[in-house]
Amino acid sequence: MSIDATTDRTTSPENSTTPSKPHITWQDSYSQAHIAIEALSSILQSIPPSLSKSETPAFSLLHDPETADLISQRLRHPDSGAGDDNLCRWLYDTFQTSQPDLHLVVLRFLPIIAGAYLSRVTLHKPLAGFEAILLALYANETTSRNGQPVTVSIPDLSHSSIYHETKQTSKNSATELNLAVISPSLEPHGNVRSTRRARIVGIALELYYSKISQIPVGSKIDFCEFCRIWSGHDGTELESPGSTQGKEIEGEILEKKTEVKRGRISLPWELLQPVLRILGHCLMGPNKDKELYEAACAASRSLYTRALHDINSNAILATRSLLKLVKLAAESNDDIDHTEITFTNVITI
Amino acid sequence: MSESESTNSTQVEGDQSVRQVCANGVCMKTTVVEEKLDEGNIQEAESALRDGLSLNFEEARALLGRLEYQRGNVEGALRVFDGIDLQAAIQRMQPSISDKHPTKKGRSRSETHAVVQHSTSLVLEAIYLKVKSLQKLGRLTEAAHECNGVLDAVEKIFYHGIPDVLVENKLQETVSHAVELLPELWKQAGLYSEAMSAYRRALLSQWNLDNDCCVRIQKAFAIFLLYSGVEVCPPSLAVQIDGSYVPKNNLEEAILLLMILMRKFYLGKTKWDPSVLEHLTFALSLCSQTPVLAKQLEEVMPGVIHRVDRWKAMALCFTGAGQNESALYLLRKSLHQHEEPDDIMSLLLAAKICEDVFLAAEGVKYAQRAIANAQGVNEHLKGVGLRVLGLCLGKQAKNSSSDFERSRLQSEALKSLDSAMALERENTDLIFELGVQYAEQRNLNAALHYAKQYIDATGGSILRGWRLLALVLSAQQRFVEAEVVTDAALDETTKWDQGPLLRMKAKLKISQSLHMDAIETYRSLLALVQAQRKSYGPLRSVPQAEDDKINEYEVWHGLANLYSSLCHWKDAEICLAKARGLIEYSAETLHTEGVMHERRGQHNEALAAYINALLLEPNYVPCKILLGALLVKMGSKMLPVARTLLSDALRIEPTNRMAWYHLGLVHKDDGRIADAVDCFQAASMLEESDPIEGFSSIL
Repeated sequence: MSIDATTDRTTSPENSTTPSKPHITWQDSYSQAHIAIEALSSILQSIPPSLSKSETPAFSLLHDPETADLISQRLRHPDSGAGDDNLCRWLYDTFQTSQPDLHLVVLRFLPIIAGAYLSRVTLHKPLAGFEAILLALYANETTSRNGQPVTVSIPDLSHSSIYHETKQTSKNSATELNLAVISPSLEPHGNVRSTRRARIVGIALELYYSKISQIPVGSKIDFCEFCRIWSGHDGTELESPGSTQGKEIEGEILEKKTEVKRGRISLPWELLQPVLRILGHCLMGPNKDKELYEAACAASRSLYTRALHDINSNAILATRSLLKLVKLAAESNDDIDHTEITFTNVITI
Repeated sequence: MSESESTNSTQVEGDQSVRQVCANGVCMKTTVVEEKLDEGNIQEAESALRDGLSLNFEEARALLGRLEYQRGNVEGALRVFDGIDLQAAIQRMQPSISDKHPTKKGRSRSETHAVVQHSTSLVLEAIYLKVKSLQKLGRLTEAAHECNGVLDAVEKIFYHGIPDVLVENKLQETVSHAVELLPELWKQAGLYSEAMSAYRRALLSQWNLDNDCCVRIQKAFAIFLLYSGVEVCPPSLAVQIDGSYVPKNNLEEAILLLMILMRKFYLGKTKWDPSVLEHLTFALSLCSQTPVLAKQLEEVMPGVIHRVDRWKAMALCFTGAGQNESALYLLRKSLHQHEEPDDIMSLLLAAKICEDVFLAAEGVKYAQRAIANAQGVNEHLKGVGLRVLGLCLGKQAKNSSSDFERSRLQSEALKSLDSAMALERENTDLIFELGVQYAEQRNLNAALHYAKQYIDATGGSILRGWRLLALVLSAQQRFVEAEVVTDAALDETTKWDQGPLLRMKAKLKISQSLHMDAIETYRSLLALVQAQRKSYGPLRSVPQAEDDKINEYEVWHGLANLYSSLCHWKDAEICLAKARGLIEYSAETLHTEGVMHERRGQHNEALAAYINALLLEPNYVPCKILLGALLVKMGSKMLPVARTLLSDALRIEPTNRMAWYHLGLVHKDDGRIADAVDCFQAASMLEESDPIEGFSSIL
């Protein structure tokens, strides 16, 4: 993890160059971020001046909404993502620097890259630019995991754990836990073979999830929006038919519906599972953002509808729980702060 | 000490006049004190309290702070608390308590104990209120540090953990509050790894928390672990007590906590909270460990979850793990007319499970009910209902007793799938299923159209699409093109997924009489299969066509067939022995053995092999045909037996051209020329549409 990078962002450069810290990394990350910004400015033509003068360039690059908008627009352009796309080249190069805070900048745009890529892949357009970035992310995860699978052993309460005790003395302490494979082992890929496409994007999303607490909200909202498009359902199916009122909006809704339908992609579990994990974070994560919450609710509705249409029981269970949790949260008016003291008119000591 | 220059203290008016402070048996109204506070005169307010209630300085300040806090004047409260050196007060108290604390009975000791506890309680509450004030002012990090201080102090004072009975209520309350608040503060401050350790500290140390408080913390921590996306180091092994389970990552820890909460619910230790079950459902379905979830659901006390909801959820759990039988059993219960017979989700799920030759008729009924109920909010599911109806009808057709029945069911299946298509144009699975349905009915042009469309729509990302296309081409006897498709598919797959494709390629080579190439392909297939067996099994990425994993037995058997067709008897024997080494008795190997005997003129041995095969597997069509054919050669007395066998084969596999051909021979030998012509015609027509592998092998 990027201890250096995080301190860099919060402390001012003067402080962080104090000789007491063993610091080569700061210089590196600072200058590399500036090089990245310069390169970006030649691609985007206009770049906010605050960015090029920033003392925490990587941080500004990650959080500057104006630049993010510019990059997003370019990525969403129907002809983007080809092998000679400068911006893709820039994202690829930026990811190749070994600076974790610059990696975040690339990951910030993963929803749009993955979204545009998966939706366009059937159109026979050149997408080598997108593929290069996705492969770089995949390769990064493969190396950092050493190709190993990610597993979870499901606890069994008949054995004591650090959080509970059980009176039963288990006969065989060699516990037979259920081993669940969250993400199977990885093999290196030099190019995107079509049958491995979902896997590669899925792994890139796993990487995104592992850094998600540092990703700006805007990126997560993009992600939720693409969930809706990928599902092929706008989620309004779940509402009763009469509830969409107003005729002038109807046309708009219809248009949106067809846009969503056209973006439908196949969602094998290796792609859907990381998607659902990210969605869980967007919905229930520690920092609440109203816009993100609503986008995530909409995405959950869409994916639930899709799961029903696929009769995919695991997906039905997962998305249905999310929707139920949303409902429970909306219904409960228990905002009791249990850490508040009891207020009495008679105060004693 | 604090001075009274702070004149701008915020006003709080309209207090209830009944508010009063009590200590040492005396009560006084707070109006006077409040007035002084409103004037910003803390010292005067303080001395008013000290005089009125005969308190010492710290007690008076603590009381004053609490008064300000209650009045909602948190800034004022902070100013009051700043006036006393709380840390010093704690330090003063520490030795006295820790001296006394190692419990030895003695009256005087427990009395002083109570006194000391009382003043500790006062001080700790004061700091706690300071923390709350800071929190309300948004100074979260500061608040967290102060709160941490409270817990540190408690730990120092009670270094054996808080005793169950000895503690004064108020002190315990403050401690519990602080324990619960600390992780929340870190979380709100955005310092997640601190939050994580605060949660663990709350749950792993002895704070003597009451059940509800502990449940709240466990739930909040589980949610944090599950959704925060922050992977900090797992709990250290230091906390491990003799072999107890220590979770290694966030997800494990979250699941453990949620399971513990579920257990508390069913032991009646705390009130049922539906959200815990939903969090657990989310976590376990992400791990695809739904049978564990089913077990959890089973343990929930009756009356908490409605029985139908429980059955439905458990059915979903079982289907997710492929335990269809249990799932169907539960769905039948929940779809009973006295329960929820119209629930569309259950109907669809049940119909999907019934996509099986033997259950298809039941599936058709469920699907029809689903379609009938696809109204209102569920209208969007009509297409899904039509789709499963089509699939069930297609399966039912395979088990039908008459030709008439079969073709009726087949055309209904197609009709149903077509109308599903009209509703769900974008559903790629549907495109594929239509392709297979057409292929099985030997409408190869339509099948080809859908196979191509499927590859286009999925961007070639799904293996079965390539296989369908190659099979359809092979059925059209376009072997070269089929091979091109297979090669393209091989390019798009990684090594581990290539098994079914290589097998197809070998068969394509055989169809083109390129036997040496076929042997070569079989060799690489064999190498793949053996490598696969050696590589660490279950953790590897699951190949896309999971049900169609090529096994070594199959490869040896294929090679044996190939060699025997080339009359390389020795090689064939070796391969057959290898296959037998893996599965000792199987109809397939006996079939190959019989063929070899027959071709070498050993008719009795061949006969024995075929009959043995049929004893093993009464419905094994290839042996039925060969047995029939062999009996024909044994003279006219055997013709009726042969005819029965062949007709039976055709009942099971109506599109088997070999069966038609041999039946034709029987008719010819018996002198029924017209019948023979019909049979030969059927055989030759089918030959032009025979795929190298059955179409149903890819569904």
